[in-house]
Amino acid sequence: MKTAETGAEKIDPITLEVIRNALASTADEMALIVMRSAYSPVVRDIMDYSTALCDAQGRVIAQGLTLPIQLCSFPRIMGFVRERYGSTLKQGDVLIANDPYGSGGQHLPDVYILKPIFVDDRLAGFAATVAHHTDLGGIVPGSVAIYATEIQQEGLRLPLLKLYEAGEPAESVFRIIEANTRAPVEVLGDIRAQIAACNVAEEGLRSLMARYGPAMLDRYIDALHDHAEAMMRDVIRALPNGIYRATDYIDGVGENPVPLPIVATVTIADDTIDIDFTGTADQVAASINCPISLPESAAFCAIRCLSQQDIPNCEGYLRPITVRAPEGCLVNPRYPAACGARGVVGYRVFDAIMQALAQVVPERAIGGSEGGPYLLAGGGVHEGKPFVLNEMVVGTWGARSGKDGIEGISNPAANLSNQPIEMVETDMPVEVLRYGLVPDSGGAGEFRGGLAFVREFRFLSDARFTLRGDRRDHPPFGIEGGGTGAPSAHLFIQRDGTQRHLPTMPMESFNARRGDIFRLTGAGGGGYGDALKREPWRVADDLHEGKVTLAGAERDYGVIFAADGATVDLPATQQARAARMGERT
Amino acid sequence: MVQHSYRIGIDIGGTFTDIVVARDDGLIETRKVPSTPDDYSRGIAQALKALVQEYSTTPDRITGIVHATTVATNAILEYKGARTGLLTTEGFRDVLEMRRLRIPVLYDLQYDKPKPLAARHLRLEVRERLGPDGTVRIPLNEADVREAARRFREDKVEAVAISFLHAYANPDHEIAAEAILREELDESVYTCRGSEILPEIREYERTSTVVVNAYIGPVVRNYAAALTTRLASIGVTCPVEMMHSGGGIMRLGSAVKRAASLVESGPAAGVIACARLVSGSNEPSIISFDMGGTTAKAALIEDGEPARTTEYEVGAGINLSSKLVKGGGYPIKMPFIDVSEIGAGGGSIVAIDKMNQVSVGPQSAGAYPGPVCYGLGGRQATLTDAFLTLGYINDVALAGGTFPLQADAGRAALNDQVARPLGLDLTKTARGVLTLAVTTMTRAVKAVSTYRGRDPRHSTLVAFGGNGPVVAAEVAKALGIRRVVVPRAAGVFSALGLLRSDVEQEFVRPSRRRAGELDDAGLAELYGQLTEDARRVLTLEGYELSGAEFRYAADLRYVGQAYELTVPARRLVFEELAELFHLEHERTYGHRSQKDQVHLINARLTVRLPLVAPPQRFGAAPPQRRVDRQVSFEETGTASIAVIGRADLDASPRRGPFVIEEYDCTCVIGPGQTARLDDAGNIDIALEAA
Repeated sequence: MKTAETGAEKIDPITLEVIRNALASTADEMALIVMRSAYSPVVRDIMDYSTALCDAQGRVIAQGLTLPIQLCSFPRIMGFVRERYGSTLKQGDVLIANDPYGSGGQHLPDVYILKPIFVDDRLAGFAATVAHHTDLGGIVPGSVAIYATEIQQEGLRLPLLKLYEAGEPAESVFRIIEANTRAPVEVLGDIRAQIAACNVAEEGLRSLMARYGPAMLDRYIDALHDHAEAMMRDVIRALPNGIYRATDYIDGVGENPVPLPIVATVTIADDTIDIDFTGTADQVAASINCPISLPESAAFCAIRCLSQQDIPNCEGYLRPITVRAPEGCLVNPRYPAACGARGVVGYRVFDAIMQALAQVVPERAIGGSEGGPYLLAGGGVHEGKPFVLNEMVVGTWGARSGKDGIEGISNPAANLSNQPIEMVETDMPVEVLRYGLVPDSGGAGEFRGGLAFVREFRFLSDARFTLRGDRRDHPPFGIEGGGTGAPSAHLFIQRDGTQRHLPTMPMESFNARRGDIFRLTGAGGGGYGDALKREPWRVADDLHEGKVTLAGAERDYGVIFAADGATVDLPATQQARAARMGERT
Repeated sequence: MVQHSYRIGIDIGGTFTDIVVARDDGLIETRKVPSTPDDYSRGIAQALKALVQEYSTTPDRITGIVHATTVATNAILEYKGARTGLLTTEGFRDVLEMRRLRIPVLYDLQYDKPKPLAARHLRLEVRERLGPDGTVRIPLNEADVREAARRFREDKVEAVAISFLHAYANPDHEIAAEAILREELDESVYTCRGSEILPEIREYERTSTVVVNAYIGPVVRNYAAALTTRLASIGVTCPVEMMHSGGGIMRLGSAVKRAASLVESGPAAGVIACARLVSGSNEPSIISFDMGGTTAKAALIEDGEPARTTEYEVGAGINLSSKLVKGGGYPIKMPFIDVSEIGAGGGSIVAIDKMNQVSVGPQSAGAYPGPVCYGLGGRQATLTDAFLTLGYINDVALAGGTFPLQADAGRAALNDQVARPLGLDLTKTARGVLTLAVTTMTRAVKAVSTYRGRDPRHSTLVAFGGNGPVVAAEVAKALGIRRVVVPRAAGVFSALGLLRSDVEQEFVRPSRRRAGELDDAGLAELYGQLTEDARRVLTLEGYELSGAEFRYAADLRYVGQAYELTVPARRLVFEELAELFHLEHERTYGHRSQKDQVHLINARLTVRLPLVAPPQRFGAAPPQRRVDRQVSFEETGTASIAVIGRADLDASPRRGPFVIEEYDCTCVIGPGQTARLDDAGNIDIALEAA
């Protein structure tokens, strides 16, 4: 049997499972506490936050059911905690940080709150949380301006600081935060929610310590890491050795975007994986630079998705994985590169790695998803009161081997939610005109990519707004010959009827007048396999459900329907498909 | 000879239908009869007919039937509900399919999303639009509704849910649309609307609730009709009442209208039985622990009141906590007793994977084929087989000797499938399996206690269900709970709860006022309207309200938060409600805000018509032969342990280890534990401090 021998005593697999469950439920409990007591729509409704529990060495030992792309960033910041504070932490300390440069942050709105947990004066572990805050200052409400060129323009930087020292709040830090945000109620409320979650973790870890004693718990935690590592190595060992390279693109910024390549070179050598981003575009004078914390997290997440087993979500599974990126490139920018809108690059890193892996194990990969969250941020004054609108919209998966992509779901690297339309309309002077699926937008394939979402807003007040999107010029990729998903669109329809496509990542903000409409259409998911091999009944089902149109069925799948518009005309379909096949050769 | 009358509680499970009879002088008797899944009403009628004969009485002496059923839940789990259409606001037919996007697992690229209960081609849009304050922005286009009705007719839709944006703020459009549908569609088509079923903000949750309601409405309606006909055919014409998930009972007619409120009726009944058990006993905090064949369920009861929630997902597989792990099922936002349910029951399958990770559940052998030792064809080792190996349960037969077991087969399965591959001995393996199951079950208990900021160590665990008393003391030990109570009729406790329930219905009215705009006069007006709503509805259902209790509550949150906490509204003074909210917030989340404004979101009213019934007493237990057997405990190893009956206990504590065997369940008292019988005949188990 598998027993990690760490010390003289054997590891009992049942006790190991018991401890693993107890840790996982604590991390989930943290997540629940954040959600229910948070203030901002981004945290409470969209659920853009993560929770984890770490051991005394700062290694993650359990993750809450939150966002993969944030979760895998804890190892880096915990490294800084060790380096900066070493053994000087005291009971009742609480740390705060958001700075990507030298503190392990991602971008300024993502605020980490970390709490060392002591049992009998001995450091026993850490509670770790990160949440996307409504506003940390900077040139625009929401702190994400694509046109920012250096981080100083983006808002308040918090290097790793003590927010509480031995149980006493550091009032000056609180006051600095309060004075540097446009939304102090939301920001301070969400910080309290994060601290409440840390306190819950403290209780949880203490009761485990009381039950097993520190020596035994440490031994089992080591075993848990070893166990996860062994499982991950098994997964990797089953993959053929080799070097697999793929390039995906960010459309680029501004009115005349220049595509920015993200190059992932995945080297599988026995039971290790190395991911190298050499060849990726240089950092740019816009805020889409992506501090290494996020690409690293996206890479860990992509590799973790390879495994179809229930690997414990502790740091041990990262041991066989290395991630490298040259300094000064888009995925490892140098100070003072601006990085407010870096998320889009993080999701593209996941995509590039997925495409490289699809060359080796297509049956475990997934076609390109919508591209990550699309952001509409704006604000203004309505009936004498200022408002800040933050809409972060996701929605589509690419196809998998044997399965269509999913529509109405969060990007696989993020487990985000959507804001209820009725809440948005209650809180903000906007009206949502449409929220739904776009027919024919899924990448064609034997298995169809998920459909794109469309969400359309009418401004009920004059406002200034900005956007962050992507996947218009480089739509989501297919796998094994599957087609790309439909491109995204940012359509601005003014009250007088004039229509205009706004850039995916504009280097400016726009004025909307009351009555103007903004229609946000995400990209469709990439397909899997040859569309001409899609079973006709699946196409008929899609037609029946309004997910493809008659024209789309013929154009994308070579499926011809009888005059009733519902029954597949099989002979005509076979003929059309044969002709299509012939054209290819 | 005195002609008695009888009230009957009926709880239908997958294998057995549990029946509890309460005679008008308070005498209680219990029965377990086989369920008839092809038509549950048949089994009920047969059982009642037999009872009438046994008691030498006449069917008209059955004066009340209270019922809990899984027909609603099963229709969803098996996708056997009605062909359901949705009528919705133009632009929003996909709200139901988009859901809230989140899913309950990470890193799983093979995930499958639950399919919508109303297919996309049956989700039809009409032109109409309301603002968030209920003002009409676009009037309802009646021609669109008639056109939709035509398509529903063509597609032979059996039920239609109506859900328009912001209809919670103004039901007029939905009411008008329903009237048109009623004109246009066959009488047999079931209709319901969001503004009636759930007049609350959040379009997805409301739409999901009303679609679930429509999906199972015809199933419940047909079941109710079949039951009424069956009962009439044997001469039983008394009113039939149903338990709803909120723990109250309602007339069959209301159950048909609010079909979605039936999905947790069985588990709710068990919790109500617990609450009644302790009412008046000064027991401030009780955790109910109900373990059957498939799942273990826990609920918190404070000061005699079960904790409630309005967030529930049906069909989500097994919910650990219904609050965070979202997206796996179909949300129903209605009053529910907050029961957390986890996939660890007697039938839970024990398995090891390639990496020697051991798991117990959530896969279950269910009632059929069931555990290996049942001898019904089950091949995979289950938790029950581990109980058997440890000697926790009788290895010859269950249910008072009526259900023979194949003990050797059960032990062999556990040995071959788990012990040998792990290189452990069989007893140690069985012990480990039990520990693992107990750990899993403690998560159900934690979901209703520590997750809500309550320390379970200050609670008493009340254990019931076929398997609850077998493991209750172990679960208590793992959580540091010091006292466990095993009530009379523990094995059929939910059916007993049905007869102890009051008529209870909840009413909600959203507050239209912004924070800071609600003065005490406005508060009084809001609650006044709510009271009128309730009186009208209940009077219409034929209830006499003179003895009714009206309990008011308020959903409050800080301005900016999205989730409310509910506090009792004993006095309609806003300042007092706000202070209660601050306290509850601090208790739940560990902090409060002095600066932020408190906002009233909903006014709630629960109307309760207290049950009028004589005190209950139990008939004598049927005689049962009991033999001492080998039982393994961690502390003492394997030894011969006494097996006794409940009646062998008395008021003085008896030291464990020993086993109490009864007709409907088994209760294990471990070393270091003592058990006594209290005045009411409950087994009261004390654990040593850890």
